[in-house]
Order: sequence, then C-alpha cells, then structure tokens
Amino acid sequence: MSELDSMLDKILTEKFRRTLKLVFKDITNQQDLRDEQEFAKDKARIKERLLDTFTPYSPDVLLENDFRIAAIDGSGTDSLMTLDDIRIHLLSTSTIVVSTNTHSDNLFAPLEREVLEGELGEQPHIDLHWHSGVRGDARHKLAETLANIYPLKDVLQITLPFFQDYTKGKIVSFSDFVDTEYEKHVPRLKEIESLISREQLLTNPTVHEEIRKVSEYAAARNLLMSDLNPKYLLLDGALSVFMHFVRHYPSMPSGFMLRDLCALARQKNVILCAVSKNHTIPFAHRIAGMARDVFGENAKWFCHLPSKEDPEGGLHIYEDRTYIPPMLAVPYLFSFSRDNRPSRIDFDRIWWLENIFVPGNPGATRANEKALFAELEFMSRDARWYGYPVPLALAHESCKLSYEDLRLAKEVCMDVQSEMGLEKRKAQDLRADYNL
Amino acid sequence: MSLDKDKLGELYGKVGVGNQTTLGIMGSNRDISVGEIFLIYSCRDNHERVFFFRVLGLENYLRQVDDLARIAGTLMVEGDAYLSGIERNMLLSVGGRMLGYAEKKGDEWVFNSPRRLPDHLASVYRPVPGTSDENVRTMLACQIDGEVYVGDLQVGENTLDVPIKIPSKYLPMHVGIFGSTGAGKSNLMMVLIKSVIDNNLDAFRNPKDDSQKVSAFCIDPHDEFAKGVDKYGIQDVVEEMSASTRKEVIGDFYYLTTHKRATTRDIRKYAQEIRILWSEIQPRDLYSIREFTAEMTSFIDAQYSSHGENWISSILNMDEDEGKALNVQPGTLRAVKRRLSFLKRSPIYIETGNSILSDIFVAMETGRILVVNTSLMSDREQFLLTTVVTRTLSDMRRALKSSGNLGDFERQAQMRLPSSFFNKVNAQARAFYGYGGVDDDTLVQDPKKLPVIQVTVEEAPSILNPELMRGQSVFKDISRQGRKFNIGLLVVSQQVSVLDNVILSQMNTEINLRLGNEREIRACIENASVNISGFENEFRVMSRGEAIITQSYRELPLPVRIPLFDDIYEKDKHKYKDKGSKKSEEHIL
Repeated sequence: MSELDSMLDKILTEKFRRTLKLVFKDITNQQDLRDEQEFAKDKARIKERLLDTFTPYSPDVLLENDFRIAAIDGSGTDSLMTLDDIRIHLLSTSTIVVSTNTHSDNLFAPLEREVLEGELGEQPHIDLHWHSGVRGDARHKLAETLANIYPLKDVLQITLPFFQDYTKGKIVSFSDFVDTEYEKHVPRLKEIESLISREQLLTNPTVHEEIRKVSEYAAARNLLMSDLNPKYLLLDGALSVFMHFVRHYPSMPSGFMLRDLCALARQKNVILCAVSKNHTIPFAHRIAGMARDVFGENAKWFCHLPSKEDPEGGLHIYEDRTYIPPMLAVPYLFSFSRDNRPSRIDFDRIWWLENIFVPGNPGATRANEKALFAELEFMSRDARWYGYPVPLALAHESCKLSYEDLRLAKEVCMDVQSEMGLEKRKAQDLRADYNL
Repeated sequence: MSLDKDKLGELYGKVGVGNQTTLGIMGSNRDISVGEIFLIYSCRDNHERVFFFRVLGLENYLRQVDDLARIAGTLMVEGDAYLSGIERNMLLSVGGRMLGYAEKKGDEWVFNSPRRLPDHLASVYRPVPGTSDENVRTMLACQIDGEVYVGDLQVGENTLDVPIKIPSKYLPMHVGIFGSTGAGKSNLMMVLIKSVIDNNLDAFRNPKDDSQKVSAFCIDPHDEFAKGVDKYGIQDVVEEMSASTRKEVIGDFYYLTTHKRATTRDIRKYAQEIRILWSEIQPRDLYSIREFTAEMTSFIDAQYSSHGENWISSILNMDEDEGKALNVQPGTLRAVKRRLSFLKRSPIYIETGNSILSDIFVAMETGRILVVNTSLMSDREQFLLTTVVTRTLSDMRRALKSSGNLGDFERQAQMRLPSSFFNKVNAQARAFYGYGGVDDDTLVQDPKKLPVIQVTVEEAPSILNPELMRGQSVFKDISRQGRKFNIGLLVVSQQVSVLDNVILSQMNTEINLRLGNEREIRACIENASVNISGFENEFRVMSRGEAIITQSYRELPLPVRIPLFDDIYEKDKHKYKDKGSKKSEEHIL
C-alpha cells in the first residue's frame, strides 16, 4: 500500500473526525466566546451608526458625466525556474480601464487595447527577478529589481509622502527631519536597498510578494501619470503599510511607494482604493447577518470600520489586531450581492478625511459614503462577477497565470537556455525530482 | 503558388481543438447554421492546403466564463446586471467534420480524404457567394465535374455558383435517389432528365468531343415530368428545340403512355402507346416482380421450354385435364393462371398486335430520353414493364458483349430474345452494334462506346426487396453486371432500409434527400458510398430540394441544393433554340 493510501485511511477514520471536533470545540470555547463578548459591546454602534445601505443606480441611469475606472492586478510565481539555490521569479501585472458609458448601450466597456497600450505599454506587463542564497544577495538583488521597476527613481521623493502623511504634515521636506526621531535614519532613506529593513525575513515568498506589490504600484503610478484620467483606481488587496517597530516607518520600500501613490492620486483627483475578498475582519459574518436583519435579504450595504482616531474610537472586535484598520487607511466592509460573503475596501485616510469625512457632521459624512458606495456598486454588476468591481475582475482575468501558461513559460525557459548554449541544469521544481 | 485567401471568403475564426476527422473551431459570433461549409487555410511545413469542414454543431461560448448557465441565471435574477465588453468575448464554438482537403499538385487541384490536420490555430474562412465560387470550383474540380448536372454546392442556407455533376461513365454503376414524400424527388428527376437532354445536345453539337450520349427510361408514376409540376416540364424543353435539333436529340417521340387519346394535344405529338406482346415477356420477368412457388416455376419453365414465346397463351388456354396429363396439380395450374390473368385484362400487354418494345430499344441505343407515364397502370403492370425493358436491353447488350462479330451477335441474340422482338430490331441492332458495317463478319462495338442507358426503378422496394432478389430476378444480374453492358439502374425509393443488399452494395452514387424517420436516416448513412457518419443532425434539418450526394469514386460528400426545374429551364431555354446559340450564354444569368 502506498503512502498516499495510508494517509487516506487515516483521514477517513473516526479518530480523525474526533480530533477535528476537538479543534472546533476549542475555537468555539476560546476565540468565539471572547469575541462574542467584544462584539456585544460593538453591536449597537455598528447597527445604528456604522452599517448602512444606499440607493443603487437604476440600470438605465444616464450619468451626467460618464467616468473611467482603472484597476490593477498582478500575478506571478516565485519559481519559474529553480537553478540550485537560484530561483527565477515571474510577475505579470495588468491594468484595465473601463468607462461607465451610460450614454451608450455598452456599459462598462473596456478601453480599446491599442489605446491602453499606447499610454501604458504592453499589457499584461511582465517582470523577471532572480536572486541566490548568498548572504545579502536577496536584499541586494531585490533592491535592484524594485528600483528598476518603480518609475519614480528619486528615493527621497518616494519616502517623503509617507512622512508627510504619518506626521500629519510636520515633515514635508528633508530639512524637516532635523530634530525628529527620524534624523538618525536619514542616511538609510536614500537608497532602496537600505529601505529594506526586514532582511532576516527575506524568504522567497516575501521577496516575491514585495516585487509583486511594487509591480502593481509601478503600474498604478504609470496610470496616474498617464492621460487616461480615471475617477477611480482600484487595487487588489489592502492599503496596509507594514511598519518597522523601532524605526516607525515602513519596513519595506513598497510601504513608502504606496504612500507616494496615495499622495499622487490625491493630487490627480483620483480615488485610490483597494478591494479584498479575504478581508480578515473578525465577525464579518455577524455584521452581514445584522445587515440582512436590518435591510432585508437583498440589500446592498456597507459598514465603516472606524479607527482609534475616529470620533467614537475603534471597534472592540479588532482591538488587538494590529493591522485593522490599516495605518493611514479607512476600511469598510461591504456586500453588493446576496450570494457572496462580504468584501472589504480600503481608502487612503488622508483622501477620506478631505473628501468623505465631515467633522462634527455624521449626517453629511454618511451622505458622502452613500454616494461613494452607490458608484462602487454600480461598477460591480457584471453578471460574471456580480457584486465585485468589474474592472478588478477583468484585470485579474488578464494577468492571471494559469497552470498551462506557467508550463509553457517553463518550457520557453528551457528552450532559451539551450539556445544560449548554457549548461543543462535541471529546472523543474525540486519536488519533481523524487516525485514528491 | 500562394493562394489569395481573400477569395476563400470572409475570415471567420480559428481552429481550436480536434483531430483529422472532427474539429472544434472558435469563431466570431455570426449567424452560422448547421451544414455550412468552411474553408481552412493551412500551410504546415510549407504545404499549402485548403481543408473543407462541415458544421455539424454549434455552441455559444463566452470567454472568461466557465458556466454560462450561471451567468444567464445572474442576468435573470439581478435585473441590473450587465456584461462589460462582452461583445468581444462572445464567440461561437463550432464543431463539425473534416471533409477532406484540396492541394495543388502541379497545375491541378487534387482532393484528398481527411488524413491530415490543419495547422495550429489555422484561419477559418466562411465562403461568400460571389467571392469564393471560383476558388471552390477550381479546388473541387475533381469532386464535382461530370456530365449530368444535379444542383449547386450548398454551404449552409446559401449556395455557391459551384455546379455539382455526376460523370456519365459512373451512371452504369447505379444511382440511388432516396427521399420521403415531399423531399423533392419529382423535381430532381426532371432536373436529371433535363441534364441528360443537355448532355445529349452537347454531344450532338460537338460531335468531335468523345462525349457520350445518355439514354434514360424514366418511369413517371404521377405523370408530372412532361407537363411539369409548376410552370414548365420536359415538354417545354422539347417544344423549345428547333425541328432539326429535336429530331436528333429527342427523336419522334419521348412520351410513353397507356392511353394516347387521354394525352393533351401538344404532348400527343410526341407520344406512343405502351404495348408489349405476351411473347416478349419471359418467365423470369415475372419471377422478378412476384414470388412463385417451386411448383409454379417448374410448371412455367416446362411450358416455356416446350412452347417458347407462346408460353403465356398456352398456359392461359390450358384446361385442368390438359394439366393433369402434364402432371400438374390443378391447384398449381389455377394459381399460375390467376397470376397471369392480369395480362389478359391489361390494355398494354397484348397477345397480338404492335409492340413498342422495339422502338424503346432503338430509342435507348440512340441516346434518347423516354418519359413513361405509368399513372394509369397498376403497380404490377408498371413493374413488369420496367423488368421487360431492362431485361430486353441488357440481353441485347449481353449478346453483343459475348460476340466477336455481328454473325455471332445474331446467334447470341436469337438464343436470348423472343424472335417476334429480335426479328424486328435485327437490322437496326446491326447498325448500332457493328463497327463500321452490318455484315456478319463486321466486328462489334464495345458496349462502353454505346450510349449509357439509365433505367428508372420507381417504388424500388416492391421489386428490389430481399425476397425477390433471392430468386431469379433480372435486377440481380443488372445490379452486378450492368456496368459491363453500360446499363445502370436509377433506383428511386422512399426507404433505404428495405432494399436488398445486393443492389445497395452495387450502388456507387447516392442522392440522399430528406428522409422520413430515424431508421431511414441510419440506413442511408450506413449505405452511403463515403463515410457520412455524424450527418444525422443534417438529415433531420434538411429542407425540400436539399441533398447530400455520396459517390464511391469521390472522397467528398457533397451537400447540394437542387434548383427548381422552372428556374433552370428559364435560365437555359435559349440554348435549345438552335445550333447558333452559344454555350457561353449559360453564364450570363
């Protein structure tokens, strides 16, 4: 009997079921019980002041000003090829721009590929990266790749927007660092390589994740600098910035770049946001249940997830969760489709404070939110991905690397290698060698 | 040698999956119908080829959508849902069969059975009438050329100006026309008769050509061919001809009927009454149309050997005592008499008088068409007529085939044929069959050089069924040996499944019209001379006048639209006028 069979045998036993039962019981006892108590404290506030619905656009609405929406998504693999301790990463990034087009029949039609490529270059955009296991190599090569990918080359310019937003405008130029806690770090802020302060954690997946983010941010920057002028720019994921706990600034260059993007978007009057399906918000299902109870089964709703800095402070349910809400961002939970679980959307907090939040006037703030979500919902009605913004879905479809794409890419890899007369090294996944 | 791809038609799609028999094509969202023919251009390994593909199934396909039903559901339930940029992603997934491919060998296009595959993602073209016709004609030349026009190549609901013809040399290898009531058999028969006339007209006008005349003995069970179904009929073709042309191509008569006086005046000019002498009937003619017990056949055979061509009179006049003297059971005698009694009642089978059989023989040996109105005959009379004519013609040619010179021929013929008949035709037969003379030592012609004779067998299942074909049917011999004598059967039937296997297996051309039911469709596909498995759906959606022609000597099953007789008559009538009218005028319209 093979190993696989014996594992299967184990899974099908009553014993395995018992073990699972214990785990579930454990979760219920410890996690749910504690969160239940926390949720109870938030319940009334969520129901009355954070959760709301809005009036969706009618399907035949004619917008006074049709507008464009851009979305960016990326995909890739950290092991296009494995050559001993070297791995080659492949990244693909797609930008999609659609127009609301309410004045024609063709709602949310994507921009012609030629126009898009004329402005942004070939779509999807492909990047490659490699590094070896030599000490310091990962960091060095990563810095090289990131510097190469990100269109803004002046590292000081990349870092400043973060400090400006984080210090609420206290630091707007380099001279402002004098006499602050950051003064001693200034030399580190001049090179991409020294912005990478999580060196010990530079595993292949981390490196890949960082390059992928930066590729997407690079695409976003190119879009913002282009003449395409979208009203929205949607990213996939969250607007989280991971911080260095001691130095109090982003631990990776992507953190700075995100803030650079936020500043640029504000300057260009573009609403930058990030949508994620796996939202990590505890009790999201309970909030969704509450929305059903209050607004009905078919309601489309959103729920603001406030931070400590908001008028009534943060919610108890995520009190101990470090990155909820993300620093300098405003998350909302939302659902535009009864068939799917709620998703989360993050906005730049600085933009939010300027455009949505009205100090001392919750009613006006709510009206702004409703208008915002009505627009977001309108762009999320494609029958293929009902409830999810169609530009993001299209971007995802355009960049995703299927198993078959990857297999072909790997073949091309080998081909090129032999064309260059390089020594033939086994290039499949190491696992493949022993059929494991 | 690169082909002008624009002349193949409009670019429709790309080859997706498939093998050398079936292909899946991803095409644009156009109004495609089952039965359309696409051309696939391929240049694998620098071999330029055009593959022919026939659409057998269609499916809507949306890129980026795995589950179309779910999308439809969402559109239905969420009244406000849309599909962004979907037009570009709406495709048609087209499945179908590879029919074969055309390839240029030297200056000629040759056509091959599907034994190769088009290149990866090869471009697929949809033929456009007016654009693709010439190219298709050239590429398919070896599949569609011939002398007897049947119709035009059908590509879906349209036809191309690509005439489909059957070579006359394959007519003796028998033709089947299968179709249910209303499928267009009568119109097809008229079109075929006209094509035969056109062929003979050409042969008459261009005698230097080695083109061969075709004779046709066409049973017309509903008396439609001469007058026509709608506006025009064969009579109009005949009338349109100048007297001299008519004399050469049609002769003195073309219309055979039971009652000449019942014929309209214009047709009566070309009509003859059908009369066959009892003496011209042989026992096996009867065995071919009806079952006889062993006792009956041995009695009849004995009578035939003792009384020769007077066997029918002798039996009919025999009383039971005479029978007893000959050791014949009264029951057997009565039964045989009963079976022969229809000859007594029949106006066309006569004991004495003038027979038409010799005229039929002469007409068939001189490249004529005969339209035989059998509408006033009983089935049995009609079947016996077909049998006597077929057997007489084939016996004459059999005698010819087994002779070296005319002296031999006469001996052979006298052995096989009733003297009442042969003595009448002997002189003419010598003129037809002698190679440049009529003397006894004149060498004889090869039957292959004589006109092809096509005999229609209407309601074929009544005589070409396994029961009758098991016995001494004359059709068994004709179906097997007809090609030696240049005599072919045109088997017309509503059903395929009930026909005898001998005739089916000897049939090399099938014109398959719309069929009545699944069993007939299956039988038709099984019987086809080329593999048309997978065409079941096609048969189910076929309209009147549409057919699939299969020919054992050609690789491509040809979908064809048979034109209305009236239309082609109007188009071509000018050419019957006189020798002066030019052939090229055919193409003006």
